Amino acid sequence: MYMAAPPKPKEGTLERIKERGYLLWGADAEGGAPYAFPDPGDPSKIIGFEVDLADAIAHELGVKAVQSQNAWDSLIPALERGDFDFAMNGIEVTEGRKNHVLFSEPYYIYTEQLVVQKDNTDIKSIVDLKGRRVGTLSGTVAQDILMGMGGVNVKIYSGQVEPYQDLALSRLDAVLLDLPIAAYYAKPNPKLKYAGPPVGEGLYAIAVRKNDTELKKKLDGILAKLYSTGELKKIYEKWGLWNKKQEKLASFFEDSGATTLEEGRRAPVKNFFPMLLKGAGVTVLISVSSMALAIGLGLLLTLMRLYAGPPFEWLATSYIEVYRGTPLLIQLFILYYGLPNVGISLNPVMAAFLGLGMNYAAYEAELYRAGINAVPNGQMEAALTLGMTRGLAVRRVILPQAVKIALPGITNDFIALFKDSSLVSVIAMVELTKTYSMLAASTLRFFQLGLITALLYFGMSYPLSLLARRLEKRLKKDQR
Amino acid sequence: MITVHGLYKSYGAHPLFQGISIQVEKGEAVVLIGPSGSGKSTMLRCINGLETFERGEVIVDGIELHSINSKRPSKQEAERIRNVRLKLGMVFQQFNLFPHMTVLQNIIEAPVRVLGMSREQSVADAREILRQINLEGKINSYPGQLSGGEQQRVAIARALAMRPEAMLFDEPTSSLDPEMAGEVLSVIRKLVDGGMTTIIATHEMGFAHEAADRVVVFDKGNIIETGPPTEIFTDPKVPRTREFLNRVLGRFRI
Ligand SMILES: Nc1ncnc2c1ncn2[C@@H]1O[C@H](COP(=O)(O)OP(=O)(O)OP(=O)(O)O)[C@@H](O)[C@H]1O
Ligand SMILES: [Mg+2]
Repeated sequence: MYMAAPPKPKEGTLERIKERGYLLWGADAEGGAPYAFPDPGDPSKIIGFEVDLADAIAHELGVKAVQSQNAWDSLIPALERGDFDFAMNGIEVTEGRKNHVLFSEPYYIYTEQLVVQKDNTDIKSIVDLKGRRVGTLSGTVAQDILMGMGGVNVKIYSGQVEPYQDLALSRLDAVLLDLPIAAYYAKPNPKLKYAGPPVGEGLYAIAVRKNDTELKKKLDGILAKLYSTGELKKIYEKWGLWNKKQEKLASFFEDSGATTLEEGRRAPVKNFFPMLLKGAGVTVLISVSSMALAIGLGLLLTLMRLYAGPPFEWLATSYIEVYRGTPLLIQLFILYYGLPNVGISLNPVMAAFLGLGMNYAAYEAELYRAGINAVPNGQMEAALTLGMTRGLAVRRVILPQAVKIALPGITNDFIALFKDSSLVSVIAMVELTKTYSMLAASTLRFFQLGLITALLYFGMSYPLSLLARRLEKRLKKDQR
Repeated sequence: MITVHGLYKSYGAHPLFQGISIQVEKGEAVVLIGPSGSGKSTMLRCINGLETFERGEVIVDGIELHSINSKRPSKQEAERIRNVRLKLGMVFQQFNLFPHMTVLQNIIEAPVRVLGMSREQSVADAREILRQINLEGKINSYPGQLSGGEQQRVAIARALAMRPEAMLFDEPTSSLDPEMAGEVLSVIRKLVDGGMTTIIATHEMGFAHEAADRVVVFDKGNIIETGPPTEIFTDPKVPRTREFLNRVLGRFRI
């Protein structure tokens, strides 16, 4: 399930898991295989070795495990703000991260694998990388290694599929990434091969909030038990990730996760429809509700700006300028990840609704203002001489005319908001675009699923375009 | 009924009125004439609070407006201005009907929403007024579907529906061709004959001659002459008045 959790207070996580009856663990299903990713056979289900591990841990706790979808880059801040109980998603233990979170004992020892094109003979190991274009994931240990070497032309990606694609297309000379990723995405690709043995060595561990020592101890105990009973080995073997105490890496090269990738490539496309439709539903919901907010708040801002006098006028003007002058993406980040720093924690739906609505309100306000200014001055004067108050005149005489003028613009903005709504995937909302990128990343069917997704967007926005055009025509007729 | 006393008004650095005064009695019909830019419109707009002025006072039926300096008057002041406006009906050169409302809606909007009159009562009133100006058939038309003359008559009807004590007309026929202007002037004429207090700024000298009790001649923000129409039109005392009349009467024969 791609569930987004409401924020939680910061102490007694272990108790709360038990009370609640399920544990919430944060991971990015778009991050992909074999960690946690949508099942190609039934994309509404998340599978992966970490899913199995989470289930095993939950079983030990006597509860169920529920995955909380969150972009990989922001798993740590989301954990800190209390979105889920712990994060487990190939998170490497680093000194930097230790400043922010508490790590359990490691559940996996990973290495970095260098991958090159099949016919490449120049690059045999990472010492040959000087001056080459090498792709890796942002925020990973592989990135640190490459940066640390100096002289390597490092290309940073945010998804794990794209570097291998670019490598196959000769846009890169090599890719350095964690072995589980290479095993899933590069190994089955006939155009690519491993170059040299794995390098480096690091630990994946479960990240909990700094004050959750109790939870950490419990998790350590459970992991130890899973080791000793051989259950952990079973999970890794299932995913082809087992290697003798994970030091003997030879067994790593055995065929493994590739099966799942092949399955995903061959699964009938109708399997993906329910997921995509659900994503489209979320997109519609978010767009419609935040447009309603934008229309209402925009009107308030316009009235403040035009009629309410100095302090309000100034406030409204500043609001409009600030919101129009800064990127929506930044506004969303501040709302979702920034506000918790001052004690306000919004759930993703609320943050998406407010973020889009408050941003578009600034644009709607400008449209209304243009509409109001287009109403001749004589209209207000006529209303006033009839004894109307300014308020009544605005409501009954000015606004009805202004709205008519602004309506085509408002409809156009709605179409734009529809497409902008894909931005909210950065704050853990799984809407249509996010659903697409998750499914595409685990099946590599970027083209086919992309077309379907684009069609869904088009099917939703085209009727709006038609409506906008009709309104514009009618307005022209009225003005004659 | 309407008194303007010692009014000072300037547009930015340009002084227009420097202590101008005017007095209109109940039932009187006063016509304001004078060259373009001499201040006729501004006078009418000051009387019902559409313009600010720096010094002096406007008194309408006992309600006093003192120098209104701020574009944002206090609540109390705004209420006083509104009370003045309730006593005055105003008709503009550009009609200013509400284009999104039908003729009927235009007329009953203010009686219902401002005076709190019942809908039935205000609709009955509207029908009666429209009947008197021969526009009953247009009751459900939108302003855009009417001729200029019809629109202006509806605008007069809209003002009358508020049952004002006096009517102000600012060049009510200047944007109409002569035939339509005639229709509108005959409606105004009926009002004047019925004893309505009126102030009309106009370039229609024929109308001024026939209908006015008194003619006031404006020039560069000053009242240079005032008197009954026969006197002003046949024997003006001030040379500037004579110049002005010669100029306009060259075009408009009485
Ligand atoms: N909003 C304004 N801002 C600046 N000056 C103005 C404004 N309105 C009027 N004036 C000036 O005030 C003077 C008087 O204008 P007003 O409209 O009262 O004249 P009028 O006698 O009605 O002229 P007309 O016969 O052309 O209607 C003119 O010189 C005009 O330029
Ligand atoms: Mg004028």
